[in-house]
Amino acid sequence: MRTYLIDSDKNEYIVDLTKTRAHSAEMVEFEFRTIKDNQELNKETVFIRKLADQYFASTDGVKWNKLARQDSPSILLNVDRVFKLYRGYKPSTLGGDNVGGLFTQMPGKVVKIMAQVGEKVAKGQTLLILEAMKMENEIKSGLDGVVKAIHVKSGDALENGILMMEVEEA
Amino acid sequence: MSTQKRILIMNRGEIAARIAKACRELGHTAVGVWTDNEVQAKHLEVCDEWVHLKGSNNQETYLNIPKILELCREYKIDGVHPGYGFLSENTEFSQTLVKNGITWIGPHPEAVRVMGDKAVSKEFAQKNGIPVVPGSTGAIPTIEEAIKIANQIKYPILLKAVAGGGGRGMRVCQNDQDIRNNFEAVQRESAAAFKNGDLLVEKYIVNPHHIEVQILADKKGNVFHFFERECSIQRRHQKIVEEAPSPFIGEDENLRQRVCQSAVQLAKAINYDSAGTVELIMGEDKEFYFLEMNTRIQVEHPITEEITGIDLIVCMIQSAFGDDLGIPSQEWIKRTGHAIECRICAEDPITMLPAPGFVTGCETNFPQGIRFDNCLYKGLNVTPDFDPMVGKLVAKGIVRDVAIRKMRAALDGLLIEGLKTNIPLHKVIMNEETFIKGKYSTAYITTIKPQEKVNLSMDYTSIYKKIAGVEARRMGL
Repeated sequence: MRTYLIDSDKNEYIVDLTKTRAHSAEMVEFEFRTIKDNQELNKETVFIRKLADQYFASTDGVKWNKLARQDSPSILLNVDRVFKLYRGYKPSTLGGDNVGGLFTQMPGKVVKIMAQVGEKVAKGQTLLILEAMKMENEIKSGLDGVVKAIHVKSGDALENGILMMEVEEA
Repeated sequence: MSTQKRILIMNRGEIAARIAKACRELGHTAVGVWTDNEVQAKHLEVCDEWVHLKGSNNQETYLNIPKILELCREYKIDGVHPGYGFLSENTEFSQTLVKNGITWIGPHPEAVRVMGDKAVSKEFAQKNGIPVVPGSTGAIPTIEEAIKIANQIKYPILLKAVAGGGGRGMRVCQNDQDIRNNFEAVQRESAAAFKNGDLLVEKYIVNPHHIEVQILADKKGNVFHFFERECSIQRRHQKIVEEAPSPFIGEDENLRQRVCQSAVQLAKAINYDSAGTVELIMGEDKEFYFLEMNTRIQVEHPITEEITGIDLIVCMIQSAFGDDLGIPSQEWIKRTGHAIECRICAEDPITMLPAPGFVTGCETNFPQGIRFDNCLYKGLNVTPDFDPMVGKLVAKGIVRDVAIRKMRAALDGLLIEGLKTNIPLHKVIMNEETFIKGKYSTAYITTIKPQEKVNLSMDYTSIYKKIAGVEARRMGL
């Protein structure tokens, strides 16, 4: 079974389950490899054992760690990276190029828009203030350019991943 | 034993659950609330009665005084525990309740009023023997006025909400331009968070320690302290790691006594009659200044409970109904060992910015001596409407080194899947030299930068284990 891991920067890792071997009714051995840009980066074997209605994982069958039980997670975490998980298929519509596009990184409310369409802006200039988690966050321009479009207005409540503003390179 | 009371818990998450447990222990009825977008409010599982608070934003629910009063009448509530945040330090709320014959589980409204206003409380503290940090004597109406005062007391200065707390509505300004850039934003933030946009200006002390003293008082004039906590590890002026006792005060019992006694003196001066915290700022020279008094239970109260054995929430409820606390004297209160708390937040461990999402899995595998006050469960939706804190991990050891060791093991055994948390950051802090030596100040996060030491490389083994777990489950293991 092939699983695709894709993070918000569109890095794509392919995790292949290359071998499955059931040792007993309680223990299964899995062999995995990771592929990125057609290169095999890593290959390892892990064991899963059920104990007292909990799942435990091991790399050597000797030392075991508890796993958090998840049903069919669509998200996988690696420290500060959130990967979307696609088991068995790769989604075809993963957005286009968004250089200069300001997307919400978390749900929030637009407090103030500080630029106008057609305005020349500098890299790092605050274009919009977004309130999220009771904090005001300054949304800054990623490049020197001109504001091409503003898709939101003051007071709008936005979901994660919404395009708020577009800046075109000057 | 007093008669059974009906207590409305006007809060959510871990603190609502904590209060409910105390109510049940005392034989009172714990009445919990849930709102339209918190149908799965986990704190209800420890409440006796569940009340629906209609509405989906905080203004309609947790901050809606008329509606809460209506609920109190409808459900024949005897007392209200506000927890922390929301209306916990709102005098309009406490006075409304008292006028309607409902017990406010907190201090008398006058104490909340005096201490809730930063300008008034500073004046009060100064009159009662605790020095204050230089700054404006009242609310600053304009940017120009703020700049004038800032130049008198010299930069850096702190621009903050008169009614503020919890780190919201605060910015450090290094020069006139900073004030011009930030003034309006801080005003808006504080108006939104506290219904009051007034700001004040004060001198910013470099590399200070945040020391606070836990106070507990009854309605008969007895005021006790439960020693200090150090909460110097902060990001954006919000605490993330706290410990008791303070490693900065350390073995200096003389200093500890002076700090704790001045807090008691202040509490006595305002006839304090509940649980509260006197927050102090201590410079590198061990001189301390009054920062504010929080007239509520605080997030980090568990570490004090762990080293003193007291149940602060139980005592707070007893005090509110005029019951005896069962504490014979200050000398009777002893502390043993050392406790550390890590606030577990749904946030990016590097940028420390909130990262809402769904919890897809959650398990714990802790060493002995761990307390985990939390509201986590598989399926929890952490929304941007509330604070990103989802739990408090507390480790107690006979000495500080043992507490740190236990905390490291506890962090390894705390498994939260589906959203980013600051657990990797806490792991770095618990292994970082300055922290281990106990030689950190509030500048810790900005100067030591533990967030930059978080290992970001792909952990293939851990990814395989997680995927294997899912595959095994699919196979019917």
